[in-house]
Parts: sequence; structure tokens; C-alpha cells
Amino acid sequence: MLLAKLREAWICFKAGRVTLRYPFAPHDPAPGFRGKIAVDADRCLGCGGCAQVCPAGVIVVRDADQLTRLLDFYWSRCTYCGRCEEVCPEGAIRMTPMYETATTRKQDMEIHLQVFMGPCQRCGRCFFPPTPLEKMRVAGFRTGTGARA
Amino acid sequence: MSGLEILGRLAVNVGLALLLAPLFEGVLRKLRALVHSRQGPPLTQPYLDLLKLLGKEDLWGARGAMAAIAPAMALGSALALAALVPMGGTPPLGGTGDVIVIIYVASLSAVFLMLAAFGSGSPYAFVGGSREMMLLLSVEPVMVVALIVAALKSGTLITGDIVGWYAARGPAISMVVAGVAFFLALQAQSGKLPFDIPEADQELMGGPLVEFSGPRLAMLRWALWVKQMVFAFLLVELFAPWPRLGLYPVDLALGLVKTLLVLVVVAVVDVVNPRLRVEQAMGYYLRIAFSAMAALAFAAVGM
Amino acid sequence: MSVSAQGTNDAAVRIKGLLKNRIGTALLGAEQPHADALRCLVDPAVVREAVAVLVLEGARFLITVGIDERPLGRGYAIVHLFSLDAEHLFVALHQAVDPAEARIAAITPVVPAAGWAEREFRDAIGVVPEGHPDPRRLMLPDDWPEGTYPLRRDVRYDFRPPSVPGMAPEPRPAPAGASVIPMGPFFPTLEEPAHWRLFVEGETIVGCDYRGFYNHRAIEKLGDSVLSYDKIPFVAERICGICGFIHSTCCCQALEKAAGIEAPARARFIRTVMLELERVHSHLLWLGIAGHIIGFETVLMQTWRIREPVMWLSEEISGNRKTYGMNCVGGVRRDITPELAGKMRDVLATVGREVAAVRKAIGTDTTLLARTRGVGVLTRDEAVRMAVVGPPARASGVAIDARVDHPYAAYAEIPPRLSVQQEGDVWARVVVRLDELADSLRIIGAALDQMPAGSLRAEITQEIPPDRIGISVVEAPRGEAVHYVQTGGDGRAYRWRVRAPTYPNLQAVPAMVTGGAIADVPITVGSLDPCFSCTERVEAIDVHGGGVRIYSHDELLAMWAARAGRGGSR
Repeated sequence: MLLAKLREAWICFKAGRVTLRYPFAPHDPAPGFRGKIAVDADRCLGCGGCAQVCPAGVIVVRDADQLTRLLDFYWSRCTYCGRCEEVCPEGAIRMTPMYETATTRKQDMEIHLQVFMGPCQRCGRCFFPPTPLEKMRVAGFRTGTGARA
Repeated sequence: MSGLEILGRLAVNVGLALLLAPLFEGVLRKLRALVHSRQGPPLTQPYLDLLKLLGKEDLWGARGAMAAIAPAMALGSALALAALVPMGGTPPLGGTGDVIVIIYVASLSAVFLMLAAFGSGSPYAFVGGSREMMLLLSVEPVMVVALIVAALKSGTLITGDIVGWYAARGPAISMVVAGVAFFLALQAQSGKLPFDIPEADQELMGGPLVEFSGPRLAMLRWALWVKQMVFAFLLVELFAPWPRLGLYPVDLALGLVKTLLVLVVVAVVDVVNPRLRVEQAMGYYLRIAFSAMAALAFAAVGM
Repeated sequence: MSVSAQGTNDAAVRIKGLLKNRIGTALLGAEQPHADALRCLVDPAVVREAVAVLVLEGARFLITVGIDERPLGRGYAIVHLFSLDAEHLFVALHQAVDPAEARIAAITPVVPAAGWAEREFRDAIGVVPEGHPDPRRLMLPDDWPEGTYPLRRDVRYDFRPPSVPGMAPEPRPAPAGASVIPMGPFFPTLEEPAHWRLFVEGETIVGCDYRGFYNHRAIEKLGDSVLSYDKIPFVAERICGICGFIHSTCCCQALEKAAGIEAPARARFIRTVMLELERVHSHLLWLGIAGHIIGFETVLMQTWRIREPVMWLSEEISGNRKTYGMNCVGGVRRDITPELAGKMRDVLATVGREVAAVRKAIGTDTTLLARTRGVGVLTRDEAVRMAVVGPPARASGVAIDARVDHPYAAYAEIPPRLSVQQEGDVWARVVVRLDELADSLRIIGAALDQMPAGSLRAEITQEIPPDRIGISVVEAPRGEAVHYVQTGGDGRAYRWRVRAPTYPNLQAVPAMVTGGAIADVPITVGSLDPCFSCTERVEAIDVHGGGVRIYSHDELLAMWAARAGRGGSR
């Protein structure tokens, strides 16, 4: 019995102090950590793929008018699953390593995007944003003539 | 001793008990944290806890009048015990029947804790109070036997004289056995594992303390810390009074150091043990009480 | 594959034959939705006879699923799910109840383990189990009106009925001479609040009553209303914080079985690795909690210290310490690279060494053994009677384990070694879990060694057809979890039923605590490693008068207001 107690005491003393200094010193999570989302408005196509796959339904996509698509991310209910990042074709939505998300203002936990779109020539509804057009120009495509680079 | 000396020693005894007990508790907490592989609170944390509690609201529910004054009485009786215990010299309050008085005053603090529990109006406190009673009934005999042995061997009931006699004489088998028994009883008296049964928060939500808050809770906690320090001091003064140099301040300091050492051992035992059930604890202490009778036997034959 | 598919088929044929013999034309149909399941359509009038046939064959009750199939023209479906462990077969007895009657004979008198399951379908679907010995409400809130059954298709998932007071179920009365000690709703040892009423004489327990389910989150309702097949695994993962991966794997497997999708071999092995990793962390966590419950804080601190590197490892592999989010229907989302595998081996080798040291130290600790030996005994008969699963069952001599009885993921290639004890006390459960921990480390090592190359997900090229059944079980650290899925027609499930392992285990608690001391109740309940929903109620026991009064929410508020105003605080 005494031997058991000595063994236990030995395990404890051998370990020493293991607690981290956090929050008095920063602590970075592992790479690939699924933290708070960050949205890059310049890359966003407004496709709404993220909204469709989000299990918690925190992303709302709607058209304000013929030129403007609104994307609202109410990420206070985000479950940090990372499906939005997986699905986004442009890499516009990313999971950052940030995990210190406590705040006293609910507005801090919302991201609102306005994406300017082009209207479809036929039906007049929001079609696609200038971003792919820019990309095509950068890649050397000539728009409007049918020629390929 | 002159009246002034008595007052002075009284102030020292009560003051030390009141003011140093939280520091000793702080040391024990830090030791606990060390064994737990964590940083632990600063040594002054118990003082900060008391300060915090003293400033909080005193909420009460179905508490009775007895439970309302019990915390103060518990602290008071612990301090009264401090006045009876020799610290570095003769105790300030003493007379011809010291040992008997100590036996009674020693259980007073626990009795007030029980009264606080039974008057709380909570079923958890009730069970906690009854466990405190059962534990007290099993630990008392051990303490009594140890003190009787000391009185028997030294031939006097006056604690100051017992200390002086033992310091001069050197160790004796019966006294050593009695000292060991008293030390084992100390574990339960300090409310430390494996015997912190009454205050088992995992089973009883804090037991007797569950209905107290603010200043009253502070007094109950303080009473427990004073109790553990004073009992340890009694142990070292009666059963391990060496070295004794005859100089009051030096003997006092030595006594404090020895008390701290004893409490450290108590804390180490505390941290490597789970909690026992109350009937297991009672069985354990009854066995100790019977073994402590051996000390009486030794004393009777003069050893 | 070591599972004999032929043996399972033979068992299915045999069961069909036995049922036909017993109930004749009342057996309205039989089919095998997937290789290891037999589904029999039975006339509701003979449900007890049909169940009796299965019980005689040694079938173990899993769960009952209540489904509102009125939109499909099939009334209310009551499906009793059983498992023939030795033959690796699931048997689903499907009874279509006439909606006009909405009642069916209760099987609880024949199968005591079905107690809660039948009360639950009464609450959820509104079909009355006739002859049930304890027909009180199980999971609906205390102010939910009678007549509104949430899992019916015509009740919206976000419907909030008006609050109706006084619908709380009657608490069971204490036996004569016993007083009542409440444990809960908030209690320090129980991580989630629950309400136990202990009937005590002195310090000995003579009976107990349980009320739970107040934190019921209506996940199944979400599953058949707002979630698509892709989203269900993520919500499933959040059924439990400690064993979430088990639930997401189980529902993915159920959906895959229903749809006929086969996850690639690499995905199966990765799932195995993560499942066993979860078992490692869960058992270490439990060891700490068990120590904490008996007051041994040092065990808590040290075992959690040993566990922490496992959490960091999980974070590196999956992106989070818990809720790995790695499962999807058809496979897994993240890969285990060779570099990660190397790290895993190092971390787990250290964990193995440290756990062995702890085991050696506490194995001879007499104070610890005094609190755990002979405490909370569950006899083998009681364990079988209440269909207890997981370590509590194995500690009582019942050698069942979903990984062996219904192999999934890579367990057919890497069979686990079961640890079976006979004493059935708390210490036996500690031993079983420690053995399982060591075995998990072995399985992870073997899985990493044998990891096949290949894709991580199956290509799903077709829509999942409607009206298919999928049944899957996974051995969680706490026991066997069951997921039952019926596919719907619009990319959603028609019904998704989850049974967590603690569901049957909690029903066995009265048998375990009766005869013991109050001090032993927390560790007894804790030794089940419960992972359960909570309750919220306050019960006042008049210790002197012996009466019990339940206070409603409003009354409590009024009492508090009165006291606060009366100078109840300074």
C-alpha cells in the first residue's frame, strides 16, 4: 500500500509542472486548426456554395437588386466544421487559426459582404461578378472576340 | 505569570492562530498543486479568499438562529483552543485541569460546525452534519487517549508542566505511540483526505458549508484553518518539544516551523488518497484507538 | 473478411422461418435491406409473440424507432430493433400501426430493456404502448401539452406549443420508512445535470427514481426536416462532446449501407484510427473523472496530463481537439500523412508507458480499492435483462462488443481483444477500460502499419434512392451506439434514429445502487461513464414531516422574490 502511494507520488514529481502560461503567454494552435472564418470579398463569386453546405445554416445569400448580391455570415453559430472552405471554388472563405472569439458585442460576430455582379443579358438577374472577368484578363484571355489564348 | 504577561501571550497565541493559519493553508495548497503538476495559487491566496468572502452578500434561506451565530462561535472556539495550547512556553490560559479543558474545547469547534449544519435547512448539510458527528465520535477517543497518556506519564494535568517535563526527560515509548496516534487523528481533525468526509463536495455539495455565504462562510473556513494549525501545534508541543532553549521567541519560532512540517506531511497524505466512506473512517479510527491503548499500557508500566 | 456472410444469411433465413412458424400469416413480409440486416413486417396484433421468438433465440434488444409514415400511406411504424450478436445480424420488426387507433401492445413486459424506448415513442409519435408498467412521460418538457407529438410529420421542427403547467410526470413514491435524498438537478459529480431521487434509510439506498431528458435537443427532428445527408454527420458529431466521432461514423455508415455506397479501404482504416484515438482520450478522461468523484484529485490531474498530448495530436490531424469533422458520407475528409503517422506513434508510445505506470501504482492502492471493490455491483443476469452495453456489460461477464459482433471500418482486419471481467463492480469497470486503452494503442499501431493506399472518399454518382433502410452500430467508449436511417426522397433522411450507449446503461442504475451507501452513488453512476441529457427541477423534501413537494418554476421565482425583498441578503 505504501509502495502504491510512493509510486503515485513518483509519477507526480517526475512530471513536474506542465501547465502552460496561457493566457499570460500566447499559445498557437496546430497548423490546419479550424478557427474563425475569414472571408476575402475580392475572391468571392457569390456562388452560394458555402451557404448550401453549411450544416448550421449560418450563411445567408440574397440578392439586394440586379447588381448586388449580399452574403451574410452569422458566424456566432458557426460550428467550425470547415465545409465552406472545402467547397469554395475560389478559396474566398478560409478557416483561420484564431480561436479567441469572445466578445461583448453581437455585431462582432457577423460578416456582411456585398458582391457587385453583372446582370444576365437575358433575364436580368444577378449573374456573375467582375472577379472571373478580371481573372480571365490576367490569364490572357481576350473577352468578347471568341479567340483563345 | 503576571497579568501583563498573560495578556501578551494571549495576544500572541490568538494573533498567530488567526493571522498565520491562512498562510499555512496557502503552503498546503501550493504543495497540492505541485503534486498535481500545476502552478497553483499564490501563498497568500487564502487571505485573498477571506477578504473576498468578507465583502460578499450574506444570503440566507431557511437558516435558523443557531446556524446564524454558529460560524462566529466555531471561529471563537478554535481561537479559545489556541489560547489553551502552549506555543513556545506556558499557555496564556491555564489552570489545574488543562488537559481536560483542552479535550472539551477541542471538540467545541466541531460541535458548532454541526449546529451550523443541522440548522441550515438543507438535506445535504444534514447528511454532512451527521457525518461530522460520526467522525468526531471516532476521532475523539484517539485524542483523549493520547492526552491521558501524556498526563499520566508526566503526573500532571497542566499542559505547560507536561511540556517542560517531556522536554527535559527525552523520548518515551508510550509518549511516542501516543504521539503517532494523535498525528493520525490530526488527519481527520484538519478535514484532510482521506477523511474530509463531512465536506465532501463531490458527494454532498459542500456538506455543512453549503448554505453559508459571505462573511459567515469566511468564518467557517477560517475556523477550519485555525483548527488544523492549532491541533498541529498541540501535537508538536506535547509530543515533540525538542529542541527547547528556554527563550520564548526562539521556542515559538521553532514551534511554528515544526507545525508547518507536520502540516506538510498531512498535506502529502491528503494528496495521495481518495476519500473514504464514513463507516470505513470510523472503523479505521476505532482500530487506532484500540492500538493507542497500548500506549496507556506502556505508560502504566512506566515506559 | 472474417465475418461469415454465409453464416449471417443462414441466420436470417432461420429467423424468418421461426417467425413464420410462430405467427404464420401475420408475418406480412421480410427482406434484407443490406447484408447484415433482416427486416420483417409484422402485424401489430402479434408483436409480443414475434418479439418472444427473437428473445428465445438470444436476441439483444437495441432500440425502438417510431416513424410517422402517414405521408407514405403506412400509418405509424413502430420498429423494434434487435441484434443477434453471435450471427452478426440485425433484426428489425416493423409494425405498421393504424393511425386511427394509435396503440400497440408494449413489449416491455417481455423485454424489460425496452422500458424507456416505448415511453419515448409514446412521447414522440403518440402511439400508446399498452400494458407498459411505467407509462409516465419520458422526454417531453414539464409544460408540453398533451396531444402534440413532436416527431409527427405535421409538426414543424420549430413549432413551440403554448406552455401548459402541471404536465410533469408523477415522481415515484418512496417506500414506507425511507426518506428521499435528491441528487440533482445540479450536482458537482455529474458533469451534466440529472435528477436522481434516492430513497434512503440511514445511509443505505433502498430504491431510486430518475428523471432526465430536459436538455433534449431534438436532433432527430432536425435530421428529418432541415438537414441534408451531407450535413447530418456534422450534427451527429455534436450529439456528444467526448465521443462525437463515433456518432458521425455511425450515421455515415448507416447512410452508406442504406445507399449501397462503399467507403474506400483507406477511409475505413483512417476511421478506425480516429475511433480508437477517441477511445484512448475518452478512457483517460473517464479515469480522471472517476478519481475526482471519489475525492482523489491527483488521479484526475495526472491522467489528464497524460491525455493532453492526445488532444494536441487530434488537433494536428483533424483541425480540432474534439469534433474532428473528418467524416463524410462515403469516406473521410482529411488524410493521415506518413509524417502524422510517425507523430502518432511517438505520442501514443509515451501515453502507453505512462498509463502502464499509473495502472501499476493504483492497482495496489488499498484506499482506492476500498472505494471501488464490491461497489455498485451489476450482476450478469441484470446486465442481460436490461441489455446493458459497453464496459459495464463486459465488466459483468457479458462479452459483447460492436466491433466484434457487427464488424465495421477496419475491425474485421484488426479484431480487438475483449476484456471481460466477472465481478461487475466499479473496479472491474476500471480494469476493463484500462485493458481497452492498451488494446486501442495496439489497434492504432496496427492500422497505421496496414494502412492501404487509395482514395479517401467514394465517388457518389447517383442520387440516394428513397425508402431505404440502413442500420449501423459503432462501439463508443461508453458502449454500443446505434443509428437507424430511413432515406427520404429529396436528399434528406425520412427518419434518423440515434441510440446512445448510455440510454440502456442508465436504466440499470437502480439495480446497481440499491443496497449501497449514498456515498457510493456518484462513483457507481460515474462508473457507467454516463454521457446523458440533463434535467432541471427542484424538489424540496420536508425532512421532518416526510412530505415531498415539487416546486414549479413560477413558485420558485415567487419564493425567491419574497425572500430577497424580506432582507434575505445584506
